[in-house]
Amino acid sequence: MKSLQPTPTPIVQINTLTKIFRDFWHRPKARAVNNLSLNIYPGEIFGLLGPNGSGKSTTIKILLGLLHPSSGTVTVLGSKPQNVITKNEIGYLPEESHLYKHLTARESLDFYGKLFDINKEERRKRTDELLDMVGLTHAADRMIGEFSKGMARRIGLAQALINDPKLIILDEPTSGLDPIGCRQVKDLIIALAKRGKTILLSSHLLADVEDVCDQVTILFNGSIRASGSVTQLLEKRDSIRLTIPTLSPEKLKEVLNVIRKKIGSEPEIDHPSLNLEQFFLQVVAKANETEAENMSGAASDTKVAAFLKTENQQPKINN
Amino acid sequence: MLKTRQFLTLAQMTAVEAIRQPICLLLAISGIILTGITPLVVIYKFGEDGKLARDSGLAFHLIFGLIIAAYSASTSLAKELRTGTASSILSKPVSRNTLFLAKFTGITSVIILFSITAIAATMLSERIDQKFIFTNTMSGYFTDWHTGILLLAAPFVALLLAGIINYITRRPFESFAFMLLVTCVLGAFVISGFFDRIGHLAPLDYQVDWRLLPAGLLITAALIVITAIATTISTRFNTVLTITSCMAILMIGLVADYVLGHNANSSYLTSGIYKLIPNWQNFWVSDALTGGGHIPWNYVATTFIYAATYTAGVLCLGILSFKHKEVT
Repeated sequence: MKSLQPTPTPIVQINTLTKIFRDFWHRPKARAVNNLSLNIYPGEIFGLLGPNGSGKSTTIKILLGLLHPSSGTVTVLGSKPQNVITKNEIGYLPEESHLYKHLTARESLDFYGKLFDINKEERRKRTDELLDMVGLTHAADRMIGEFSKGMARRIGLAQALINDPKLIILDEPTSGLDPIGCRQVKDLIIALAKRGKTILLSSHLLADVEDVCDQVTILFNGSIRASGSVTQLLEKRDSIRLTIPTLSPEKLKEVLNVIRKKIGSEPEIDHPSLNLEQFFLQVVAKANETEAENMSGAASDTKVAAFLKTENQQPKINN
Repeated sequence: MLKTRQFLTLAQMTAVEAIRQPICLLLAISGIILTGITPLVVIYKFGEDGKLARDSGLAFHLIFGLIIAAYSASTSLAKELRTGTASSILSKPVSRNTLFLAKFTGITSVIILFSITAIAATMLSERIDQKFIFTNTMSGYFTDWHTGILLLAAPFVALLLAGIINYITRRPFESFAFMLLVTCVLGAFVISGFFDRIGHLAPLDYQVDWRLLPAGLLITAALIVITAIATTISTRFNTVLTITSCMAILMIGLVADYVLGHNANSSYLTSGIYKLIPNWQNFWVSDALTGGGHIPWNYVATTFIYAATYTAGVLCLGILSFKHKEVT
């Protein structure tokens, strides 16, 4: 039966995009993106996965109008990427946190707020909420030049959200963060998606993409090598896993015998294990309970800034 | 369309980034100290009281200003393109025109601050220079040591205060020192107006050569033109190439009258180059002050129109160049 629901309009549409970098004499130097086509729909967390030099950052820079496509078409929020007005609805965290080092964290967010023409009172409110969200309230008046890479990354993330964007583009968002920071950023991404934000996440860290993304595209040498939902891509459809409480040896033997008889081969048995990230987070959480020592870096509990509206709320950027 | 808040924010950030460069502070302080010290150490007068101090002050203004303008303008945009802050800004609703023009405006504001300081220092330097004084009680050649000490103390007071502010607030030393240098030199200028050349109290008796004002303003116009050229070239070239190109344009512009001027009517090529290269001689009018001469204000106005037209033309080229620039 055909679905009666209309197909939503993609927020990002890329159609046969090719990007060739040229040298000073205009000779082709490198083909960074090759015949790439993809759509990103509202509310999706879309992962662009690939090794270094696979064309992820180039694709993102084309989406932002920083680079020009050699061929193909790109539409972002219904407009060409060069459209300045559309950028009111986009938040971008670059691969490296490009921030002015002599500004404090608060001044930096205020600076980016001014670029969105947000009024003073609103900028102050948003800055406070974002600093709280990324766990840097205590370092609000410290200069960014004194920040660790992880703290600068958090400010980078905060500046990407200052305009309450519809589309958030995150290039390697967890780079430079410790495992706790990584987890918090991933939880934040999920929370933002729950608020209706569309997120394009580029990373070469597989765990990041696997944990948060709905849709994944794997790039290699500028071309798509695999694409689909994470579940679809990772699911082994020719086997199933059955998880049951630990049994006594006798009972386990009985169960195995039944299974052997039914499937005609030897089943694999092991104990489900945590991954290292989950284990690490448990250890740190336990240590936090027993030691009330202050941390010098950033700490947050993945609360989302209140001004970041949900999908059904009207965005109000310009004042 | 330019958004005022965006534009001013970016221009202010450009200016702050420029004066945070240690080389900018070093050049500004060197220029002021050399301007202040020249009349105290020279022993020749070149046939006219104050001429050497006047010419040296204007030359320091031009040379140090040119280096500050070329360096700041060429590093500003090129550095932002290299470090990625430009891509970060252009991913916001900021047009390329806004960013480019804000860069130019930011550097120009630094040049204007430096020029105000240099003009004040040159006027004080001319006042310091040994002059013949004849009164009821004394006569002879006197050097204005009080003003000399005031002017030479200004950079050191600025550095000291900036050091104290840096110690207390941890804010960048260089930018505070630059702003304090401007304040202290202007402070020295104001204080000097309360004393005559011998050191007696004489409120609002400035005893400075006001003819230096139009001469300094013309040099400021030249610096703004070189700022526009450097900002435009930096849209395509890195810092080294931009500074080299600016120096080449400066040199060609300085000799344009001698090398190209005579042949301007003989060939279209020579004529074209002569018209395209800024003629720096228009801005250097120190010789007009010799023997009590003046620089007519209508000449200043005409030269400002020439500078403004040239700057506008160069900026248009810069806008076109930056519009299609790929920001990696």
